[in-house]
Amino acid sequence: MSRVFTENVNSFNVSNNIFFTATDDESKILAWLSPLEAHVRHEDICELRVESIGNWLLETKEFRSWYSGSENGGSDRTALFCYGDPGVGKSYIWYERLSVRNEGHKFVDKSPW
Amino acid sequence: MLTSLPGSSVVVDYLGDQAIERDMAVACFYFDFASREAQTPTNMLGSLLKQLLGGLGVIPAEIVRKFRGQKKVIGGRRLQLPDIVKLCAAITSFQRTFICVDALDECVPRHRLEVLDAFGQILQNSPSTRMFITGRSHIRGVVERGLGERTISMSICNGICLMFSLLYLPDVGCFLFRFYNSSAALFTLYFPYLL
Repeated sequence: MSRVFTENVNSFNVSNNIFFTATDDESKILAWLSPLEAHVRHEDICELRVESIGNWLLETKEFRSWYSGSENGGSDRTALFCYGDPGVGKSYIWYERLSVRNEGHKFVDKSPW
Repeated sequence: MLTSLPGSSVVVDYLGDQAIERDMAVACFYFDFASREAQTPTNMLGSLLKQLLGGLGVIPAEIVRKFRGQKKVIGGRRLQLPDIVKLCAAITSFQRTFICVDALDECVPRHRLEVLDAFGQILQNSPSTRMFITGRSHIRGVVERGLGERTISMSICNGICLMFSLLYLPDVGCFLFRFYNSSAALFTLYFPYLL
């Protein structure tokens, strides 16, 4: 990949260049692309929700195969869909157990064990 | 209490850690029913594009041109969905990219089909891109139809059930042990002649 940096940031001389830096406009352009900020959600919501998926997921053969890709001996299936129905009580208990467990500890421990 | 738990998706964190060491990009999106009006397919895909560009550090000339062009339109105009999808596919072709989408079931149904169609186009045109999607069971059919053969579906419930049973394994073991003991006692009481 060729990254092209030009000193004249307002130049439109991009005939042979795929990329173009526009430092003055960069933040405006990014804001124009979407008003949504994914990272706010990431820090906000995900703490409560996806912890229930747990680290076990990373060890499954489905995840490993999807992650590695066919060129590294994995699957050529490029989309991994994980489904489940929270709200049946299991997740709640899971959270409860975690809460109780973490209650006596000041440190933050990702592992539920 | 819950907010004191360590943050965020295990997968996003894992991929983020990998991205620091390897040349790869990670973009994520969280659907939320409360924000359904703002989370249109254009805004959603635009958010992914924004993250991918942020990681790239440079902005394609085509986007700069379109940004400057739209200023001439009164009130401005955003990029259209087909353009965003094409740009996402082009950018993800440059480096190994992981896109994580949480709670697709919280995306309104009419938007969901458009979003899945966009994902399908990105994966079609950028074969090294990997997509991780979570959602409730009832959208499994829609996801599999929308993304086709390239989808692996996996039940989260099994994992949680497994963890749940492991959590209570000592209790189960205890119960079985007690049961065995009491049975043995009863057995001895009622059938002493067999021993």
